[in-house]
Amino acid sequence: MVNLCSLTAEQIVKGIINGDFSAEEYISQILERIEKIDDKINAFIIVDSSGALEKARIIDKKVRNGEDEKDIGALAGVAVGIKDNICTRGLRTTCASKMLQDYVPPYDATVVKKLKDNGAIIVGKLNLDEFAMGSTTEFSMYGSTHNPWNIGYVPGGSSGGSAASVAASECALSLGSDTGGSVRCPASFCSIVGLKPTYGRVSRFGLISYANSLEQVGPMGKTVSDIVMVMNSISGMDNNDQTTLDSETPRYALRPKGNIRVGLLKELVEGAEPEISKCIYSAMDLFSKLDCKCQETSMKSIEYALASYYTIAMAESSSNLARYDNIRYGFDLSPDSYEWNAYFAKVRSNFGEEVKRRIIAGSYVLSSGYYGKYYLKAQKVRAMLKQEISLLLKTFDVLIGPTMPVLPFKVSEKIDDPLKMYMIDIDTVIANLTGIPAISVPAGFGKNLPIGLQIMAGEFQEQILFDAASLFESAANVHRSPEL
Amino acid sequence: MMSEIKIGLEIHCQLTYLQSKLFCSCYCDYRFKIPNSNVCPVCSGLPGTLPLLNQNALEHAGLLSIALGCNVPNEIVFYRKNYFYLDLPKNFQLTQYNAYGITSIGVNGKLEFEADTKRHARIRRIQIEEDPGRLVYENNTVDNSFYTLIDYNRAGVPLVEIVTEPDFTTPKEVRIFLNKITSIIEHLRICDTRLEGAVRCDVNVSIGEGKRVEIKNIGSFKEVEKALSYEITRQKTMSFHEIEIKAETRHWDDARKITKQARVKETEEDYRYFPDPDIPTVVLDNAFLLTLKRNMPELPDERKRRFIAHYELSDHISQVLIDNKELSDFFESAVNIYPSPKAIANWIVSDLIKFINGDNHSQPQSNDQGGTFHSGLKIEAKHIAELAQLVDQNIINRNTAKGFLNQIIKTGEMPSQLVKKTNTSKIDDKNMILEAIETVFRSEKSAVNDARQNSKAINFLLGRIMQLTKGKVDPKIALDLIKKKLIESS
Amino acid sequence: MISKDEIKHLGWLSRLELTEEGISKYAFQIKEIVGYLDKLDSISLTEIEPVRSKKKISELRKDHVKPFTGDALEGSKNRKDGFIKGPRLI
Repeated sequence: MVNLCSLTAEQIVKGIINGDFSAEEYISQILERIEKIDDKINAFIIVDSSGALEKARIIDKKVRNGEDEKDIGALAGVAVGIKDNICTRGLRTTCASKMLQDYVPPYDATVVKKLKDNGAIIVGKLNLDEFAMGSTTEFSMYGSTHNPWNIGYVPGGSSGGSAASVAASECALSLGSDTGGSVRCPASFCSIVGLKPTYGRVSRFGLISYANSLEQVGPMGKTVSDIVMVMNSISGMDNNDQTTLDSETPRYALRPKGNIRVGLLKELVEGAEPEISKCIYSAMDLFSKLDCKCQETSMKSIEYALASYYTIAMAESSSNLARYDNIRYGFDLSPDSYEWNAYFAKVRSNFGEEVKRRIIAGSYVLSSGYYGKYYLKAQKVRAMLKQEISLLLKTFDVLIGPTMPVLPFKVSEKIDDPLKMYMIDIDTVIANLTGIPAISVPAGFGKNLPIGLQIMAGEFQEQILFDAASLFESAANVHRSPEL
Repeated sequence: MMSEIKIGLEIHCQLTYLQSKLFCSCYCDYRFKIPNSNVCPVCSGLPGTLPLLNQNALEHAGLLSIALGCNVPNEIVFYRKNYFYLDLPKNFQLTQYNAYGITSIGVNGKLEFEADTKRHARIRRIQIEEDPGRLVYENNTVDNSFYTLIDYNRAGVPLVEIVTEPDFTTPKEVRIFLNKITSIIEHLRICDTRLEGAVRCDVNVSIGEGKRVEIKNIGSFKEVEKALSYEITRQKTMSFHEIEIKAETRHWDDARKITKQARVKETEEDYRYFPDPDIPTVVLDNAFLLTLKRNMPELPDERKRRFIAHYELSDHISQVLIDNKELSDFFESAVNIYPSPKAIANWIVSDLIKFINGDNHSQPQSNDQGGTFHSGLKIEAKHIAELAQLVDQNIINRNTAKGFLNQIIKTGEMPSQLVKKTNTSKIDDKNMILEAIETVFRSEKSAVNDARQNSKAINFLLGRIMQLTKGKVDPKIALDLIKKKLIESS
Repeated sequence: MISKDEIKHLGWLSRLELTEEGISKYAFQIKEIVGYLDKLDSISLTEIEPVRSKKKISELRKDHVKPFTGDALEGSKNRKDGFIKGPRLI
């Protein structure tokens, strides 16, 4: 029996449409694999076996009836995992938090609806750092997710479950969310492809807010081609999200081609562990060999990026999480006889530590007298970063660097030092602050642990990003599967 | 020593003529619906939902800003006001805020009004914001409840808030000002002020060097004057006894007609305002401002000037009419039917107004053209128009007409029907009527001449005939015969 | 710089029940974090304005009604006669 689990989305759709195998066969294998290995990885919070099989049968029926490819769907039969901070109708959505332990949304996120409309099959909800706050998926009510490359190491975060599940072939694609690197970081740590689209390219309706001026839903998969497929399904203006761009959405194509002007951000390389810098310089060489004009460049304002990011993210999160008062959704605790302030304080003590930390710090920077010093200033820094990067992107088509400054590390290693943990976001926050798209593609290994190359392009220039990424991907050929 | 009284107002006005809520597509009209049946994921604050700003809300609020002489900025922004409360689905309110540049829909306006002298009040700002949900207690009292009941039907309903400078010095001024604001809002058609809870007013009062006291929970505009009078007396008394007046928030107790310290200690809340990231900055370009100016309806002051100039009404009567849009609309409808503005205005201001209950909590039935009253009275413009006409034609005298009014209000019968009913002995013998006509034609030669050209003069002739026959002639028949005779004899 | 009292106050503003131990720990950690954020002080930026996305009025939602089909609050456990039950006000 062919191992269908390790197929890419592209291969699955082809196989199902061609009749090489049925969706039910494929999904059954997927579910079996999850059952077999997820104990070790802990990527899934919920697995919806019956729902997935039912959808698979529907797809199979359409194929048997000879229905048109368009009606069966561009993602027909593909097993997709959804990060558990994205709402799925009728399927529990918890944000890995006690505060949403029992919450079953009455609506689908726009991205979920679009995937379903395209025939994708949602197999389950994926683990994350609570409310997407973290870089290692260790801050979850459901325990840590482990890196399939080395159980006992972190998979990155906050979309750790999304990355690990794809790397371990528990699903072909997943959706994550990226506020400060939460798609790219785990993609890098798990050696898969992860994209943060331009802010406003993909709808946030149904994405449970952590920091709403920074975050985007991001697709994750084994190949750039798979990412392109997902983007063609989920991108576009949404009437339910007034921050989406009001314009015709282009259809993205896979067209690896050279002649791209590549700029290497030296501040990012210089700040990385030696195995990583080495890998990134090799990547640079590879681009040169592929007919691209490569040059090292600098972005001075990077030094303020992290401070700006955390100020804004924590401020927004402190407000976005205010609604969790257990009155309409949460867990079982009757409000009878409680005085309301006491009730609120008591239920909200069920947030995890990291979340509480950010709420308190966020309230601090927004509090009376501090707004100008912190939040407003951070937004100005953001504007400055935007200016600087726009200028760079006149000279270069893409900017590259490491996705992460460190190799994946052991579970619990950085968990007691919040600030140290925040520091590893340094390479990824730039794209969130400036709104530009950024992708992480597997670049190699250091000490047998994955290293990711980050590529950034101008606002709404995802096509250029895909051009560069697919070019690199074919040439670098970093395709391995973790042994599980 | 004259202690200077300073009163400022915070008026909240629902934009009741919008179809949907401020940030979602639920009905804007939430009244009398089953609890939590007029909600959606957005207005009930479900995770993952985003606010979707209603473009018409900006138009309605923009009209108000201009009508109150405010500057409308080029761009507006919505802010989050962060605090916790049971009626707030998100535990923050989406509103506007002006600390870091002007972002609200109107600033620095002014409204003139006439109290004992010509006065004006400065409008500090006008902002758009959302209403919270409603809290209900078992047994209607907070004290004995083990829990609170929450209804989110009203959550997200659009509001405009008008904040004035503390330019008022007496409760009476405030009453007059609020009447004028009500009339303006009605003329703009942005709020049906008769709906329960559609307009609310909080006040702040200080005397001399004393601290400012805020008074909330005033149920309606009518209660404001009472609340202010009470509070001013309270503060003056305290001053007299040299008791310090603390800066605080008090609640108006409508039942006991007193202000009392707010039950919940409203501690210094730090609202941590910041611009909402989900709502883009909205650009209000020249096209928008031009549309507003073009769509601006006739405002009360303008209408009053027109009434005085065009209908030749007195200042006082014009004022009474425009103070209440229903009355002024009714007036103009009636005049359109029968052009006798002074008489009709008189009927409305002297007689009809007594029957209209000002404190109207009845359900609105719309005939927004002003032809009917919403207080459930059966009288319409056509009734008053005909009444005035009949009196003009001397068919009935004013006393009779007054009596008819009572009847009409209850039954909705036309005055002419009532005339028929009460006129038991009518002379419809043609010959007898012709005789009367002959008599009048002989004695009123110049009027007859006039009547050949001017139809108004016919009324005069008819009137003389009615006089002659002591009102017993059927006026319709008489009129017919007069007309015939005029044609014959010309 | 960040006192325990400040943390208590922030806890109150955010309605987070904090233990004595928690307050001490957060006081230390927040102090570190805010210390890092103070980096923002080292650059002036008076001429720069924050960038926000902008829309024209015509690009906003039209004033149409579209009631939500179904019960948005279906999952809420504490209901009475359609109301949501919450704790009492004092």
